[in-house]
Amino acid sequence: MRNRNEGQMVLYGQKFCSRLLLGTARYDSPSLLADAIGAADPAMLTVSLRRQLAGSKDSGQCFWNLLRDTQRPILPNTAGCRTAREAIKTACMARELFQTDLIKLEVIGDELNLQPDPFGLVEAATELVKLGFKVLPYCTEDWVVCRRLMDAGCEVLMP
Amino acid sequence: MFLIVNGKPHPLPEPLMLTELLHSLSPMAPFAVAHNEEFVPRGAYDTCRISPGDRIDIVFPTAGG
Repeated sequence: MRNRNEGQMVLYGQKFCSRLLLGTARYDSPSLLADAIGAADPAMLTVSLRRQLAGSKDSGQCFWNLLRDTQRPILPNTAGCRTAREAIKTACMARELFQTDLIKLEVIGDELNLQPDPFGLVEAATELVKLGFKVLPYCTEDWVVCRRLMDAGCEVLMP
Repeated sequence: MFLIVNGKPHPLPEPLMLTELLHSLSPMAPFAVAHNEEFVPRGAYDTCRISPGDRIDIVFPTAGG
């Protein structure tokens, strides 16, 4: 008999029927993004934070409404962060905004190839776990770094 | 006197609380705030004092991932 939990993805104790995490960047339009979400049926949507520009018409309201309409779990990320402190700050802001402890942790060491900074990554992961976050670190396949992230309390790795 | 809001200078005639600053800036919801690289929870806006030279980041959700 087939186990009905077979195929489920479990992240930090939360079960998902889909194993797909869908990014929300680089869609030509909100409607195209909405169509992609409907077709892909992902477990979660990954999103970012950006500074508001004074006087900008783009306040994020349209995107925010789309996120709420999809009713999908949200996985915020710390894209663009180059230090542990910056990533921790961004994660805290994301937690307040999206009301989730999940965070895709990115600490970038190289702007050109987006290689993670392993030192900042482990430092940020350690602190964020202490703050109650459920950290999904964006890392390389470096076994030692992966081991350090797991020792810091990460239950999921994103190499 | 000035402070830095989202990387740009912003006039600050006198020190004030973050709540007052946000009222004058009127950012569109939803947003979150950091003061001098530290996250400020919404419940602390009334007690966060802004001084000349301080840095404020106001962020909102955007596509990414």
